[in-house]
Amino acid sequence: MANAAGAAPGGHRNGFWGALSLPGVAWLLALFVVPFYAIAAVAFGQVDPILRTAAPVWGPWSWNFSAMSKVISRVFGGDLAGVVVRTLSYVGVSLALCCLIGYPVAYYVARHASRWRGVLLAALVLPFWISYLMRMLAWVNLLQVDGYFNRLLGWLHVGGSRNWLDGNWPTVVIGLVYGYIPFFILPLYAALERLDKRLIEAGRDLGASPRRVFQRVTLPLSVPGLMSASVITVLPMFGDYYTNTFLSSGSPKTEMMGNQIERYLRGTSQPQTGASLVLILSAMLLVLMTYYLVVTVRAQRAVAT
Amino acid sequence: MDTRFTRRQVFGGSARLGLALACGVPLLQACGSSGSSSKKQTVSIKDGVKPEAGPLRILNYDSYVGPDIISAFEAKYGIKVEITTFTTDDEAITKLASGAVDVDLHHSAGTSTLYKLIDAGLIQPLNKSYLTNIGNVSSSLRDPYYDKGAVYTVPYTVFGTGIGFRADKVDPKSVSWETLWNPTYKGVTSILDDVREGLAMAMMRKGLTDVNTTHPAVIKQAGADLGQLTNLMNIKVEIEGYHTIPEGATTVAHTWSGDMLTAVGYLPEGTGDEVLGYWQPDPAVINNDVMCVLTKAKNPVLAHLYVNFLLDKTNAQTNFKYVGYQPAIEGLGAQELIAAGLVPAHLSSCVMSNDQIAKGYRYLQLTPDVDALWNDAWSKFRAGG
Repeated sequence: MANAAGAAPGGHRNGFWGALSLPGVAWLLALFVVPFYAIAAVAFGQVDPILRTAAPVWGPWSWNFSAMSKVISRVFGGDLAGVVVRTLSYVGVSLALCCLIGYPVAYYVARHASRWRGVLLAALVLPFWISYLMRMLAWVNLLQVDGYFNRLLGWLHVGGSRNWLDGNWPTVVIGLVYGYIPFFILPLYAALERLDKRLIEAGRDLGASPRRVFQRVTLPLSVPGLMSASVITVLPMFGDYYTNTFLSSGSPKTEMMGNQIERYLRGTSQPQTGASLVLILSAMLLVLMTYYLVVTVRAQRAVAT
Repeated sequence: MDTRFTRRQVFGGSARLGLALACGVPLLQACGSSGSSSKKQTVSIKDGVKPEAGPLRILNYDSYVGPDIISAFEAKYGIKVEITTFTTDDEAITKLASGAVDVDLHHSAGTSTLYKLIDAGLIQPLNKSYLTNIGNVSSSLRDPYYDKGAVYTVPYTVFGTGIGFRADKVDPKSVSWETLWNPTYKGVTSILDDVREGLAMAMMRKGLTDVNTTHPAVIKQAGADLGQLTNLMNIKVEIEGYHTIPEGATTVAHTWSGDMLTAVGYLPEGTGDEVLGYWQPDPAVINNDVMCVLTKAKNPVLAHLYVNFLLDKTNAQTNFKYVGYQPAIEGLGAQELIAAGLVPAHLSSCVMSNDQIAKGYRYLQLTPDVDALWNDAWSKFRAGG
């Protein structure tokens, strides 16, 4: 009886707090699970015999895996392997640059900006006020043959006639870094700002130099934040297609997976191929996400002990 | 806090997801279908029906009709016109088929994919009693191959595919498909971002004229030939020639004839139109866009009247000033347009004659398997492979 009486309020509390997650669960179902299932239904579905548009097959028992099988053979060792390697390389280099540029910025704002913190945070959020499209178009103006960048190079007598928009990988990487670095800095800032200052002070009190404290205390403790920032940045980069579209004039030299997906889904009568590419890309990202979860769990357990 | 997932949590989550999917599948089953392969019949509107109150809703490419024409039509019938835009022919078909857009008139349907709109019952036969200007249509397009008897469509614009170039940088007499493979123009050359146009151009360069080939080896070779352009020419793949050529960013561009007429309006101040040149083979690939009324149109009479309005020779000429693409109207050929000061004499090759239209190569419907061969060859080229 006592147990039952005691369980009621607890159960009520659990139900109440559990109910708070309902909007999130509904959101996830409506905007992630269902669309993702729809992509699978297209990838393993049919094509309308007249319109040649996607005819999704919703029942898994009727799925056809031939398109996926063909795409897998093209992606792993076939004619699309180069695009996959290129995409991985671009995203890898972009992420490295985000770390090199973003970590010091996030660290400074979180630890040393003091009264300027609000202003700097506002400055970090500022790019979000301008559409991504407009920011990329601004780069087009800067980097075109008679643009300001070439004029600057000409003024410095170090060139100035190069076309940066005809399929240069550094241009695409710069575009990716520029477009996504705010997504990297903000979560990293939040993680660094939450670091327990007492641990840093303890390191200093024990005689460690500032550099040593950073290496042995700050950096390891910021790994979860670094991982979060990397995941948030990398996920959209992998599917990005418009940065390359704008900054390389459609050159085959800089084609990314997102461009192939967009072409197959929007411009051909083979939507299954495009949807299969989406699923393969998702599977690759799942590997990264799993690694992120493992690292995060390990870090939390390390802190707990 | 230990955030590891227990086996029970994983199984529980999976079970819940499975349940959700099991419940959801029948619901989703209602959305979309594999369709039927039989042609759907539609009927035209009756004679003598009064125009609706509008607004007339049009689906069109961006900037592909003159604002003056829209204003004049609105003023004449006292209604409003609303334009929804699309970027590719396939996108337009997908939007119409899914019901994502609800319009009265498809302003610029492609001819090679028109059969989809007809067979799916998305467009209705035209009632010619409303089209009093139908006699103005170019004689070469009055009974077109894509719509025998012109039952469903009226041609809007007509254009060829060739090479636009800077006449101040390239000898006009030397221009041919081979120019696109000439390293002299490395970095300043582009080809059209279109699977059919791109591969067909590579085939025509080799002297092949079957632009609807079903031969896998020919399609594959065309893709491989395009692949040479990636490093040899640092090729750009885009449909921006109409402004990149006059602006000087591109010297040689695989482009449509209409783009070179449009290009005149993009020349920088102080630059004469003599810097623009256009070449196309004879015969060339000829395309035309068509206007058609949707089966579900809420304003079908207005849509007919709009089509008729654009078939008026004066209106077509006014529209040409803005669009730059040649109207498919009899009596608006190169001579007339040059005489009206609308086309520079040295760009007369951008205006297709009835003879060129009649004997031009046309993109026809491909079977799904052949279509996949074309798309995969193009995809391989675009992937840099």
